[in-house]
Parts: sequence; C-alpha cells; structure tokens
Amino acid sequence: MHHTCGLLRRLATFPFTVSDTLPISLPTASEEDLVRRLKARDESALTLFYDRYASALFGVISRIVKDDDTAEDVLQEALVKIWNAFPAYDAEKGRLFTWVLNICRNLAIDKIRSRQHRVGTRTQGLDDSLAAQRMPAADSFRPEHIGLQEVVQTLVPEQRQIIDLLYFGGYTQSEVAEELKLPLGTVKTRARTAIKLLGKLIR
Amino acid sequence: MEDPQAYIESGILEQYALGLLTPAERVAVEAEAARHPLVAEELAAGQRALEYYAEAHSRELPAAMRDRVLTKVLAQITPAAAEAPVAAPVAATAGAPTPSASLRADVDALARPQAAAEPGVRSISSAAAPTAPRRGLAIAASIALLLSLFGNAYLYQQWQGADTALVALQDTQNRVAANTLVVEKKLGEVKEQNAVLRDAEFHFVALAGTPDAPQDRARVLFNAKTKQVYVDVQKLSPAPTGRQYQLWALNNGKPVDAGMLTQAAASGERLERMKDIASAQAFAVTLEPLGGSASPTMPIQAMGTI
Repeated sequence: MHHTCGLLRRLATFPFTVSDTLPISLPTASEEDLVRRLKARDESALTLFYDRYASALFGVISRIVKDDDTAEDVLQEALVKIWNAFPAYDAEKGRLFTWVLNICRNLAIDKIRSRQHRVGTRTQGLDDSLAAQRMPAADSFRPEHIGLQEVVQTLVPEQRQIIDLLYFGGYTQSEVAEELKLPLGTVKTRARTAIKLLGKLIR
Repeated sequence: MEDPQAYIESGILEQYALGLLTPAERVAVEAEAARHPLVAEELAAGQRALEYYAEAHSRELPAAMRDRVLTKVLAQITPAAAEAPVAAPVAATAGAPTPSASLRADVDALARPQAAAEPGVRSISSAAAPTAPRRGLAIAASIALLLSLFGNAYLYQQWQGADTALVALQDTQNRVAANTLVVEKKLGEVKEQNAVLRDAEFHFVALAGTPDAPQDRARVLFNAKTKQVYVDVQKLSPAPTGRQYQLWALNNGKPVDAGMLTQAAASGERLERMKDIASAQAFAVTLEPLGGSASPTMPIQAMGTI
C-alpha cells in the first residue's frame, strides 16, 4: 500500500494543483449541507470539510503522535478513510465532528501503537507517554486557540492528565489507574468530573 | 429495567464518549440511549464536551499543507483510478491511448518528455529508431511503470472498496444486535403478562371511578397464594404535574401501600407488578405527591372490592 501511495503521490503532483481542479469554496457551509454533499460523493466537499475541521483534527492527531510530519500523514489517511467510510455515517447516531474525531484518534493511536511495537513493549510506551504528559502543557504545546486557556483554567492538572491519557493516549481506565498508582474509582471520578466541567464551558 | 439515573452515574457514558468501550458495549449503550431520553441527552453532552476539548487543541495550519494533503487525498479517492486497468492494455496494444477523463492529463504528462509526436508507443517495436537507440527502452520502461501503477491503483481501490463494505456491514450488524436486544426485552415482558393473565389463581378486581373521577377504570390482579399484585389500567385521567398514582390494598379497612404506578402503567401501556400484599379485601388508587405517601392523603380516584 505504501508503495502505491508513493506512486500516486508522485503522479498526483505532476499535472495539476488543487486550485485548478476545485471550485472556490464558501467557508460557511452548514454541517447538514456538508453531510449531504459528502453522501452525494461530491469531491469538492472535501475542501470545505478540510477548511472546517482540519485545524482541530490536526491538533488532536499531532497531540497523539507528537510529530507534525506523521500527523500530516495521519490526517491525509484519515481524510481518505472518512471519504470511503462516509456512506456508513449516520447523522442520527451522532454529530459529524464526533464521528470524524474518533476516526482520526483511532488512526493516530494505531500509528503510535505500531511504532511502540517496533521499538519495544507497550509498557515502555506508556511510561514515555506519561512522562510527556507530566510536562507542563506550555512546554510541549503552544496553545493557539483561546479555548485551550479556558480548559487549562477550568480543569485541575490531575483531571487534565487523566483526560489526556484517556483521550489522546488511547489507554484504558485500568491502565491509567495502574500506571498512576491510583484506585480505578478515582480515575473514573476524575474523568467524569472533567467531562462535566468541559461541558459547562460550552455556551 | 435499570434506573436511568444510576446508569448515568455509573460512568459508562463517559467511557463511550472517550472511545473506551468494545463494539458490543457500544451497542448496549446506544440501545439504552434509544430507550431513555435522559441517557441520550447525557451521552450527547459528554460527546460535545470532548468535541470542545478537541477544538481547544486546534492548530493553525500552513496553506501549503492544505494543498499537499488535499492533492494526495483526491489522488487516492478519484474514481478514475478504478478505470485505469481497462485503459492501460488498450494503450499498450493499439498504440492509440484512450485514457479516461482525469487520467488523460497524467498519461500525457508522462508521455510528453519521451515522444515529441504521437507514435511514441509504436516506436517500441521499431528498434532502428534513428535519433536515440535507448528511447525505445525508456518508453518500454515508462509503459511498464504505468501498467504497474494502474495495477496498484486498481488493487488499492478494490481494497478500499472492501474496507467500506466491511464498515457498512459492521454497522448493519450492530443495528440488528441492538434491535434484537429491544425485541427480546419486549418479548420477556409480554410473556410475563401472559403468564399472569392465564393463571387461574389470580383474582380480577375491577376498580371503578369514584364521583371525583367517574371515567376512570382499572383492574387489579391479585394472587392470594403468592401475594403477587399486578395492575392493569384501562383508563386513568392523566396525573397532574407533581402527582403520581399510588395503589392501596385495603385490609380490614386499613390502607396498605401497594406501590406507585409508573408512567407506563398509568397510561395503560403494560401490566405492572406492584408490591406483594399478604391480605386484602379491596384495592383503591389515589393521586399522591410524587414518590407516594405512607398513608393516603388524597381522595380515592377508583376503587373495587374482591
């Protein structure tokens, strides 16, 4: 597959650029409109999709894989997967953003797992990741979004660490409990409280 | 059925939103959300909270990345890639390429550097090409490359198609599993009701509306041996807000609490099992404050003796 992608990539850069194959898009397409066009297999809707969601998706992916080049590859893979799986998306079962976030998270987590698999055992990976998570957010990540400052102010570091491990690390609650030497109940409560607090930030 | 509030408190909805559940567990949660609006609301709130969290991590992306990513994605999803294997052999044998719409540009672009004129392909066989003896080889190599490219693209497309079909199938399977759960639960309820209705040990006690509520009709099914009590509502006026129907067993003139009627029971949707009663000569319902009272505080709405 990598072989193919490489060739396709080389081929793709040859004769055309995005700007002359795609119509100029309006940035304010509604979610329903976007869903309808993607369902209708309208390729130009992918541009709208990118403009609307890519910066958030890339933010999440890069937070998981911790490397911008890999994150770009994962984002690209995710867009192809979203396009291909789109007939299975059911708007009644959940919002588009949640659905695509989960696809991106799963791909990114698969990516770091296969990397850890090559490097060594899973536990080492978790240790590394925990070490990274313990670092203050400002060192590892520059917030470019006002929302993150609100998040930092709302969640205590313990809550944020647990949400980060669960949401960005791909770890189960038991794994987090074991690694942080906390009772499972505490991990569950902190996760629950953190999500509740985040919910209150939405206006 | 489990209490929706207890279900929410259990934290399983957060695990769902964080993507920590197995597919089977996810189906169960979705079924629960379909049954209880409260659960569905809580689930959506959790997902929105995490959407917000994700959004908070947004990064500003360079414009060059947009072009790079979209070009690659479009190259991978373009349907023309699937037609490629058909077009390729034609190009090789006939020497008159008939490439499909969007691949034409690609094919042309690859062919241009080698062949100034059209008959680029024909010159493979004519080894005595005067200007460049290696040109034939180069063209053969680029055709081989093109063929392999088309082959790969075709296989990739097939694989992607299978992947999509699998996702769709899994989705259908999940939906069927969720439906089965719901149907099984309903079947269990119906079986239980049927058993009660066919049991000769049950006394049927008709409750008639009092002058306060002359239209009200209900039945109590009472089994003196097993002490089981069921209530079967034909018609009760809708309970005003803050009130709930409570069933009382009258034993030697003294009212004994026989339990609260749920919304489903009071609207006559189903037969409902009430508290077991040791002995009774009559049954009555009153409209009590939510949660019920220890002894009746309100006038009797409907009543009947055994």
